[in-house]
Formats: sequence, structure tokens, C-alpha cells
Amino acid sequence: MPKDHAIIVRVAALLLLLLTAGFAAEPRRVEVYAPQSSYQVDILVREGVDYVGLTDLLEPLGRVESRVEGKKLKLTFNGAEAEFEDGKRQFRARGVSGDLPSKFLLVDGRGYIPAAVTARLLTRVSDQPAEFHANPRRLFVGGVQFRYTAELRHSPSRLVLAFPAPVNPSTLIERGRVRLLFRREPLVSNGTDYVSYGDPFLASTTFAETSDGAEFVASTLQQATVSMGDGGRTITILAGSAAAPAAGNPAEQPQASSPAAHAAHARPFVILDAAHGGSETGAIFSPTLQEKAINLALAKRLQKELETRGIPVVLTRIADNLLTWDQRAVSANTSHASLYIALHASTSGHGVRLYTAMIPTLQPGQSSRSFLPWELAQSPFLPQSNIAATALAAECNSASLPVRTSSAPLRPLNSVTVAAVAVEVAPLGSSADELSAAEYQQKVVNALATAIVSLRSKLEAGQ
Amino acid sequence: MISRKLQFMVAALVIAILGMGFYLVHLKRKAESIGSGPAPQALVAPVSGPAEQMTLYLASDDDYGLRPTTISSPLPGDPGERGRLTLHTLITRYLQKNSEHPLGAGADVHDVFLPDPASAVVNLNAALVDSHRSGIEVEQLTVFSMVRTLKAQLPALTRVRFLVDGKSRETLAGHADLSGWMDVAMVTDACRDLK
Repeated sequence: MPKDHAIIVRVAALLLLLLTAGFAAEPRRVEVYAPQSSYQVDILVREGVDYVGLTDLLEPLGRVESRVEGKKLKLTFNGAEAEFEDGKRQFRARGVSGDLPSKFLLVDGRGYIPAAVTARLLTRVSDQPAEFHANPRRLFVGGVQFRYTAELRHSPSRLVLAFPAPVNPSTLIERGRVRLLFRREPLVSNGTDYVSYGDPFLASTTFAETSDGAEFVASTLQQATVSMGDGGRTITILAGSAAAPAAGNPAEQPQASSPAAHAAHARPFVILDAAHGGSETGAIFSPTLQEKAINLALAKRLQKELETRGIPVVLTRIADNLLTWDQRAVSANTSHASLYIALHASTSGHGVRLYTAMIPTLQPGQSSRSFLPWELAQSPFLPQSNIAATALAAECNSASLPVRTSSAPLRPLNSVTVAAVAVEVAPLGSSADELSAAEYQQKVVNALATAIVSLRSKLEAGQ
Repeated sequence: MISRKLQFMVAALVIAILGMGFYLVHLKRKAESIGSGPAPQALVAPVSGPAEQMTLYLASDDDYGLRPTTISSPLPGDPGERGRLTLHTLITRYLQKNSEHPLGAGADVHDVFLPDPASAVVNLNAALVDSHRSGIEVEQLTVFSMVRTLKAQLPALTRVRFLVDGKSRETLAGHADLSGWMDVAMVTDACRDLK
């Protein structure tokens, strides 16, 4: 009998241990950072290997179609084909064979690949660079990841962190420690994760990537305060109990002190959409000049110009990556911006062309609250789109740029639920090189920016 | 010891296998040479009967406009065939050397279906789409030109849908949306902004 009791106790203890472990274990996920969005993909653990669902991984990045044929899963992602077989390590993507570090899994009609291979597969099927950081389980798609620089300055002592894009970390100031947690930013190590300063104010800093994001910790010897500047591109950690403007570089001034800083943190007024990207090049002007690159250059130039003028801006893409029409429309509709501008370039014709959606305006009996099909969602906003096109055309005219306006069957204009205009920029002369000339781009951007500034009160009042 | 008879048989089999291999390579090359040649132009059946007026809305890249041009030609009685012949004539103009809106070699229209008198499904060939220049304006001109030309020949038409080799295509060359039905009245309205 005592022996039986001992067995029962051991089994109960084991069950309790398993239960405790089950409740205590955090759900394992891969954090995916992509130009279009950041999202999480659940991990399935099989035989000690972390797996992720193919559809879960790819769906937010583009159009995915998959079908199961026996033990095989055939998948199309943005037109690129790939084939996997349950229990096999070999796969084919775009007609080229590859090896998985562990076997492919087909569970309930869903395909799973080892998490470690996600970056390699994405690069293969999407032509986009991808990088997987295994330990924090962070996946960066389309080259979105960025690094920071840290510089200790004196009189007064302060640590200035500079970022290539605006950041908005959670900040925790404790006694002797300032902790910045970058949950949404694709921030990665700059190569030096621990720095000892030996300064009367700052002892050391550490940087670590975790499954929650990236964490920067500054160990201070005095009470510290944190201020942001340069539109969220700099963070200054300095001694003191209240945020005081840092002397010297205006980029370190707290955010409310400059229009650009205000622009980066307020609700965006305009969303700029550089058309095409990734494998979809748009027009090819020469072996070295593609429309997608011109569009992105114009978008970034216009963003800079607008932020200088105090207009908050967001971009649908900041790198060379592919977005579907629907992803662009969803970005515009969820950005809470008042104006959507798609940027295109062409060598046909001269000057600037402005397009609004070629769809009917609201019918009698319909209102902006009526249920409308996705492809007609722009209908209630056509009057605002026409106002925007007219203002843009007037400024182009003032800048002596030939300009035409028209409606066109052009996606995603018809699914955008704010004022929406597509801008096609063509050279003034006959050379395509003019499109990439900084002087010409700036001339176009200045005209567009002036019009957008003038539209702000009109469009925001209408919302 | 292998019998002489067996040796002959093995030799004959090896020769037959090699011969079939060479023939297979020959057939493959022949098929490839046929496939890589210029895309055949759609055959247009000769039409007899009295000449009728056909209005072509010819696009011009230079002045961003559609120019109505009327020609006389015998036309078939079947509305779908009339539509196909009209678009074929329009596209042939764009293939000429001095065209103000050039299309790529081999561009043509396979068929025009009319599921009802108000709707037309235009089945373009892949050569037209694959070789089309990319750009909003240049694609808009091609699409508008075809829709207006078709409307001139089929006055009851209210909507047009484009297919490519029988399949739906998202865009003409990256810009003009071909994924759904195009409203003819909206195209006519939009053409007012053209010259």
C-alpha cells in the first residue's frame, strides 16, 4: 500500500508540474516587421523545432493562394509558385529546389515551415531581402530594420540617440535607470550592445532584442529625464527631473518646438503612396531606371518637404517592396489621414497628370454612411478628391508645369475612403533622366507641397 | 557466353533508343521554333456586302486625345463579329509605322462576346498586353480608344469588360484597371478631359 501511495503522489506531482508549466509558458510567436505592417505569427512546436504557418506568414504581405494535392502543398505568393511535401525537407520555389533544416509539415490542410527558414523562403518567393533573428524570434522583411547611433555629449551631460526613422518607444524612468522599449519599431543592434561610459551622469548602456521588441537601457548615476526631437528621430536622455530643452543642436529640442517634430507625432494629414515596388517595377525607362524607384524618391522628397512645412505625413512604403492594391487602400483608410496621394512616373507626355477615380458619385438616396462595395468606396469622397486635384493643378500651373486632370480606371483610388488623387510625373523634355534629376523632382514636389498645405483647412473641415 | 542472337537484339535496342532520343530532340526544337516566332495575327474572315461607316477613336500620344476617324467597310451582321472587326481595324492602325499611339507587334483582339446587348466582353491577345507601354496616360488612351470605338459601333453598349487570352487580368500594363466592368458613360465623361 505505501508503494501505491508513492506512485500516486509521484503521478500527481508530475501532472501538477506539467499543468504549471503549461500555464506559465508564454505563447511563442514570431514578430514580423514589414513595410506594410507589423504582425505576429504563432509558433507550432514539433519535435523541438519551431514551425510557422505559411499562410499566416505570407497573407499580410501579399496575395496567397494554396491548395493541397495529396501530401503536397502548392502555393502561389504574388504570382511566384512554391511547392512543399509533407515530411520532406526539399521544396521548390520559382522552379529552383531548396532544402529545409527540418521536414515540412502539413497539419489539417495547413502548411508549416521551420521558423529558421522563413527569411530564406521570403527572399526566394518575393525578391525582397529578409532577415530572421532566431533568439528574439524577429523577422524583418523588405529591409525595414534600422539601427541607432548613441553619442554622449557634455555641458550638460546627455546621451543623444539618433534614429533614421521616427520612433515612439515606451519609456520607463526608474531610479538609476532609463528603459526604452521599442515594441513596434524594427530597431536592431548597432553592433555594440554594451557600452561603459564612466561619466558622472551616465554609467553604461545596454541594448537587447527580445520577443517583445528591442530594449535600450541607460544606467544613470543621477535622476534622468527623456525628451524627443527631430520629429521622433532623436531621443535625449539628460540629467534633471523635468524635460528641459537641450542646448545646442536644434534636432534635440523637444517635439513641440518644431513643425517637423509636431508633424511626426500628430495624426497624419496626408498618406503618400509610392506606386509599384519589389518585383512589380512599373515602367522600365532604362536598364538602370525603373518607375518604382522614381516613385519612392518622389514620395520621400515630398514627405521631407511637407514635414518641413509642418504637415504630418505617412508613407505606404519606405523601401523597395511589393504591396497589393488592397494593402495600399487599407493603409490609407486606417491611417486617419485626410488626403491620399499616389505617385507615379512616366516618360510619355510632359509635365504632371492628376487622376481621380473613375467611378460614379453617390446616387440619390445614398449617403457616405451607406453600405458600398469595396470597389466603389471612394464614391462619397469624390467631391473632396476633385477639390484636391483642382488645387494641385492650380499650383502646378503656377510653377509653370504643364498639367492635366482626368478620371481614370486606376486602383486603388476607387477603394480609398478619403480624398484621393494619383499624380503621374513626366519629364518636361524628352529625356527620362530628367525624372531622376533632383532639381526637377524638387520643382514638382514644391508645387505639390504648396497645394497640399493649402488643402489642409478645406479637407480637415470636411471630415 | 552470350548468344549472337541476343547480342544483335541488344544492339538493335540501343540503336532504336538513340534514334528515338534524337527524334525527340528534333521535335522539341521544332516546337520551340514555332513557339518563338511572331504571334500570328487573328484571321479576319472576308466580309461581303455593302460598305458601312465605321468610326475609330484613334488615340494620339502627342496631344493626349482621341480623334474620331470614319472609314467605310463592309461589316458582318452579327454584333459580336462587328465589334471584333472594328477593334481589329483600330488595332491594325496602331500597328502601322506612323501610328501616333503605337502598340507592340502581334497585338490583336481574339473575340468580342455580347452576353446581352448592353454588355461586351473583349478578349484581347497576350501580345497586346505583354508588349504594351507602361504608364497611366498611355494605358488610359488605349482602353478609352477601344471602349469608345466599340460604343460607336454598338450604340446599346453600357459596359465593357476586358479579358486577355480568355482570362481576367488586373491591369493593362501595371496601371489601367482591367479587373472589372468598365462603365461606358464614365469613359465618355472622362474623355471630355482629353483633347
